[in-house]
Amino acid sequence: MNVGLRGQLLVGAAIVSSLVLIGAYLAAGGSSYEPEKVRDPCQHRPWSDPQGLGEIANQFTSSALDGAACQLGVSREALARALATPEARARFSKRYGIDDAKLARAVRAGLLRAIDDAEEAGALSPLLAGPLRGTVEEIPLDRAIELINNARSIFGNLQTFLGPAGDLLEEFLP
Amino acid sequence: MSRETPKPRTAALALAVGLVLADSSIVVLALPEIYRQLDTSVAGVTWVLISFNLVMALAAVPAALLARRVGPGRAAAVGLAIFAGAGLACGISDQLSTLILARCVQALGGALAVTASLELLPATVGSERRAATIWASAGATGAALGPAVGGILTELVSWQSIFLIQVPVALAAAVPILAVAKHEAATGVLQTEVRRTGRPHLAANLALAMVSAAIAAALFLLVLLLIEGWRLTPIGAAIVVTAMPLAALLGSRLDPLVPSAKARAAAGAIFVSGGLAGLALLPHAEVALTLPPQLLIGIGLALVLSALTETALGGRSPQAIHGGWTISARHAGVVIGLLALTPVFTADIASQRTDAIDAGTAVILDSKVSPLLKIDLAQKIEDRLEGEKGKVPTIGPAFEPLPSDPGDRAAVEELRDELQEQLNAGATHAFSPSFLLAALLGLLALIPIALARRVEL
Repeated sequence: MNVGLRGQLLVGAAIVSSLVLIGAYLAAGGSSYEPEKVRDPCQHRPWSDPQGLGEIANQFTSSALDGAACQLGVSREALARALATPEARARFSKRYGIDDAKLARAVRAGLLRAIDDAEEAGALSPLLAGPLRGTVEEIPLDRAIELINNARSIFGNLQTFLGPAGDLLEEFLP
Repeated sequence: MSRETPKPRTAALALAVGLVLADSSIVVLALPEIYRQLDTSVAGVTWVLISFNLVMALAAVPAALLARRVGPGRAAAVGLAIFAGAGLACGISDQLSTLILARCVQALGGALAVTASLELLPATVGSERRAATIWASAGATGAALGPAVGGILTELVSWQSIFLIQVPVALAAAVPILAVAKHEAATGVLQTEVRRTGRPHLAANLALAMVSAAIAAALFLLVLLLIEGWRLTPIGAAIVVTAMPLAALLGSRLDPLVPSAKARAAAGAIFVSGGLAGLALLPHAEVALTLPPQLLIGIGLALVLSALTETALGGRSPQAIHGGWTISARHAGVVIGLLALTPVFTADIASQRTDAIDAGTAVILDSKVSPLLKIDLAQKIEDRLEGEKGKVPTIGPAFEPLPSDPGDRAAVEELRDELQEQLNAGATHAFSPSFLLAALLGLLALIPIALARRVEL
């Protein structure tokens, strides 16, 4: 085999093997291997046939976080981590330049959206939804902050979270 | 000349070259450990690598001139002594600034030792061509073995041991060379041999710089991906990246089969770029998937580095000066590669880390585990994020202790695995643009290779 042909074969082998590797990895999804994109919190997240208080609480919380995050312009996930502890909330406030008043207003808006979603999904009777909205709208600022500080209650104890109207909740659940 | 028998001196010179050029890459696997222990940033720790290569790039040609002026025996012995002393300083450094300073001094000594060795080798082995081959092989072997040796030492002993172990090795290499140094002191014979230097081979050296940038990026980025992204241990990463030098051995066997240096250089650059593109397109966070790209990169680097070094040295005299130019080009390439790509991938890591954590948190929020457990996990994840200060977090401890209830336990384990998968995807994806840029650098080397008038030997 002459010298020139050997050189051409080597270059050809380099091109072919590179293209085969790139093609194989692309076919296996190489260009799309990245973290899943989180949903835009401003987009409606439909409820999925909630059964029992636990699932209603889960979806109510998710809707409330979506609503608050949408108002603040952050992701629902970042807000959820921020609500975990006072220290996390302080870091969140500093990072995004959000003060407690703005956070409280956003959480209130989130709660209202959650009530709307619950009502729309048939998980909350319209008879209860109205008073709940009134309660949420009148939650004083310090109560909203307290709710944020004690974020466990958002997930774990819907009745406490909803205040006086919460006592009626069990009766109106589907 | 000295009455020293050539074999021990040849071995000592090869050892000196291998040791110094290994230092260009030996710390790669130790960087994550240095990064943690000295509490610095990714960008900061890359200067442990950049500083050495930058000084080597700047000092190689002046060091070659100095070696010819004062005598290569003395220059090599003094260079190795400086290299050993600075290695000791690196090993006892407890601050990034002192470590970087010591690395600069180490590179000065290294540049002197490597270029002086190339000046000594022809007289020792009896042929300039054979000397160039031994010199290039020793350098390639050192550079190829460096990361694995560094990884093993980091894991079994400490990152400091990488530098401390070099002290006796450098001094041992200096012993047979001392006889030449004494001879030079007595006769001053080499001071009369300073000749006019021809112009360096611009195209070959330019291509060397570009390919070296791509290869350095490949090694550095792959190690960071394995250790910081996928959380492998240094020794585990060392085993994985050993695939590259093993493939290089395979590639070096192709050299005699294809005499055309131009073809070998072009094919090598394509192999390197193809492998880098493969690393940019990894379909999953699987170690095995890095092996085919490493195979291509290893074969490519053996082909392209030897072809371009031969071309740069071929028919040019004095070899030490032209060897200095190749050292300078290669190390400048490493510096350019690291400086160009570090900001890209550190920014991508930060962005992908946030995306991955958000994706993982979404998985938790949308899961059916109890709300109390969700908020507890969210809190622990936030704590891990804060504790890791911007680095890719180890997420496993956030899920400990696992719930005692079998149902909850299985659900939490599933969540942990899903979150880890999101982090792996984030880390892998964060490196993709840098690997692609490095691949582009490798392809750009084809331009000077194609334009070179005298690439054929």
